[in-house]
Amino acid sequence: MMRRVFVLAVGLVLMAAFSHAAGPPEVEWPGPDRTISVVVPFSAGGGTDLIFRELVDEMNKYTDAEIIVDNIGGAGSATGTNEVLGLPADGYTVLASGAHTVTATLQGLTEGYRELEGIIGLNWDPFIVAVHRDAPWETFEELLAAAAEDPEALSFGNAGMGGATGVLTVGMNLHFDEVFNVTPFDGGADLIANFLGQHVDIGVFSQTEVAEHMGEMRPLMIVHPERSTIPELSDVPTYEEAGYADLNVPFGSYRSLSVRAGTPQDRKEILSDIATQAFESDRFQEYMRRQGLLPEYSRLDGLDAYFAELENLFYPILEAADLLAD
Amino acid sequence: MMELLAGIALIADPVTIMWIVFGVCFGIVLGAIPGLTATMGIALMLPLAIRLATATGMAMLLAVYSGAIIGASIPAILLGIPGNPNAIATVYDGYPLTQKGRGAEALIAATVASLVGGIGSLILLAFFAPLIARFTLRFGPAERAALALVGLTIIASISGRRLVKGVLMGAFGLSLAFLGPDRITQTMRLPLPAITAGTPLAAGIQLVPALIGLFGISQALYDIDRLRSGRLSPPQVSFRGSFPKPRVFLRMWRLMIESLGIGTFIGAIPGAGASIAVFLSYQRAQRRTASSDGDTRAPELGSGVLEGVVAPEVANNACKGGALIPALSLGIPGDAATAVLLGALLIKGVVPGPTLFIDELPLVYAILFALLLANIFMVVFQLLGIRVFPKVLATPVAILLPLILVFSLLGSYAVEGRAIMAASFNMGVALLLGILGFFLKKNDYPIAPIVLGLILGDMLEQNFRRAMRLARGDYTVFLRSPIALAFLLLAVASIAYAVWSSRQAAADEKEGSGED
Repeated sequence: MMRRVFVLAVGLVLMAAFSHAAGPPEVEWPGPDRTISVVVPFSAGGGTDLIFRELVDEMNKYTDAEIIVDNIGGAGSATGTNEVLGLPADGYTVLASGAHTVTATLQGLTEGYRELEGIIGLNWDPFIVAVHRDAPWETFEELLAAAAEDPEALSFGNAGMGGATGVLTVGMNLHFDEVFNVTPFDGGADLIANFLGQHVDIGVFSQTEVAEHMGEMRPLMIVHPERSTIPELSDVPTYEEAGYADLNVPFGSYRSLSVRAGTPQDRKEILSDIATQAFESDRFQEYMRRQGLLPEYSRLDGLDAYFAELENLFYPILEAADLLAD
Repeated sequence: MMELLAGIALIADPVTIMWIVFGVCFGIVLGAIPGLTATMGIALMLPLAIRLATATGMAMLLAVYSGAIIGASIPAILLGIPGNPNAIATVYDGYPLTQKGRGAEALIAATVASLVGGIGSLILLAFFAPLIARFTLRFGPAERAALALVGLTIIASISGRRLVKGVLMGAFGLSLAFLGPDRITQTMRLPLPAITAGTPLAAGIQLVPALIGLFGISQALYDIDRLRSGRLSPPQVSFRGSFPKPRVFLRMWRLMIESLGIGTFIGAIPGAGASIAVFLSYQRAQRRTASSDGDTRAPELGSGVLEGVVAPEVANNACKGGALIPALSLGIPGDAATAVLLGALLIKGVVPGPTLFIDELPLVYAILFALLLANIFMVVFQLLGIRVFPKVLATPVAILLPLILVFSLLGSYAVEGRAIMAASFNMGVALLLGILGFFLKKNDYPIAPIVLGLILGDMLEQNFRRAMRLARGDYTVFLRSPIALAFLLLAVASIAYAVWSSRQAAADEKEGSGED
């Protein structure tokens, strides 16, 4: 018995010694031979993935550590988010968070942002409401008038109920007395295919999607107070210009970086500094302009506060769509 | 003409060709490991590809894509375990051929078929891409739901005389597909939601771990069981006279053209995928072999017939060209692998879509030429490898079977790459379905209908419900679309044929019971 206690005690002392050796006195975190992974909770090659790859590429210039992108898609964005929450809060795993994190949390798919802390808020990717070029409606007003005549006759497609486009379509439908038949599709590509085949009347798309398919899409309005910075889309009216200044819905996709709650403050600050330098670089700023992404910078506590604002904005919409967790 | 030459020049340099060779070899090895898919290989190579010149990077990714498809046929034929979903249907006749000692012949037939499918769909892609892409756009929710229904009737064909058991297994597969988030409302459909909601089960059952469990692990357990009872004799692979005569392939020209058409077309429908195409073409092969000589005593598909290997292998390679059709001409990926390819193009600042053929014509030619080279190298390396691959079977079974089990579990883990929780969960799914598959196999239940149910259940459910939502509950939407109507009639005919032929078979058996 004594022997066991002794062995245990020695073990504990050794462990304490080792953990100390690996612990605090670090001047330089993350250290040149470590890898930081940015978990993108969507599959490789998608819109969100491309933006974070661009940012991570730039972030690598401001640290000796290697920063890589890990794609962990599934269940909206919940699978990747839950993976991050399952790993140690040591700053080596960063989540590509954003509006999708808020919706997934409200739906009860993940503890999500309640267990996350902000690193940096990046940008909004405002959505555009469009109809097919062959459709008779030239403005959103005309479209709305046609929809009001026979409620639910016109279908309004999104890329999936749980995602940002789903929230936008449901929110708009609520605002306009539910005149549309909101129909979810299986992701952005599926929505575009069905839209081009005219199986759905109205669609909500990112700006790059609209710019790619300008030949067949007629953009009616951009759901943002400012016009697009993409030249082809610069004459698309904002929702205020279209006459719907009181439309209070999320603008589109919002993107940010977060870490698991409990990550040491100094590490969060280092991460935030690296990301801020990348964000402010000419290259990333130029990239955002080209993609029509609108900067919405915040850091650390500022991002946490912004998430709380987003929750307030999303809650009533998800509640109305019956998407809230029980 | 200048553009064509410029495009070829982008590919025809030693460095790019070296990358294509690397990609093909990497793809074959990756595809041959159960559970590793073409999509995974392309995603893995994405960071490397974007560091290369655009055409070179695309060429390398296309080479990985091609290699992974042909590689998947190796374990399907030799071990009865499809490397990835592309080779699901190759198992049915490929593995019995190996057991008859004709494994090398089956591999060569699969290689020839892959070349036909790859080059054939490339020709269709090069000349008819915009036309086919336009037509596939007519596939809305109603049409896709009807197509999924046709796919489900394949359960009848692949169950043979075990029709009732087959339907039962198909229903089980469908119910597996219902787990996870509701595809329309996103609400959770889970048993014991209080416990399972935060677990990876919330994302549903993934196809690849299910495939590994039902085919890989169950097969290994089955073989171990037979080994114990002394009924397992390791298959022999002889190379003598193993190259099938050209006239064998010439005889199958109609089947090849049909499979090519099915593969290219299904590949071009966004979201349909190779796993449906291979089963549809396998069903065609079954009809062809059944009706071609009118002799009911002709070797039945499923017992080890070359047609059963050729049809799906033409189709899955044709899918590759098919999936690129909407990708290049509309900017919509035909499957998950082409979605990553499109991502690679976007990272390089190239916007796929209608304008690609105007703004970036040399690049389009470069992509087509790279695909041609990838197809050729894929065949060359596969043929070189055929001398080596069957040596796997020379390994003592006592070593081979545990190795298969280990690789199967590794493969199911690798599906989610770095997602530790989801990956461990997938191993559990593979193991459980493997044990289940073992008992089903022992009791003579067909396994494939479960996989079909799992694949098609998702496609059928979400498209049916979407179609109903768009039509505001009006069922006649399926009759008003000519495409959907044609599929529905096809489904009815297919079921009627299956019932008729199973009765016929039963009658024959009664009549000729003394001859067997």
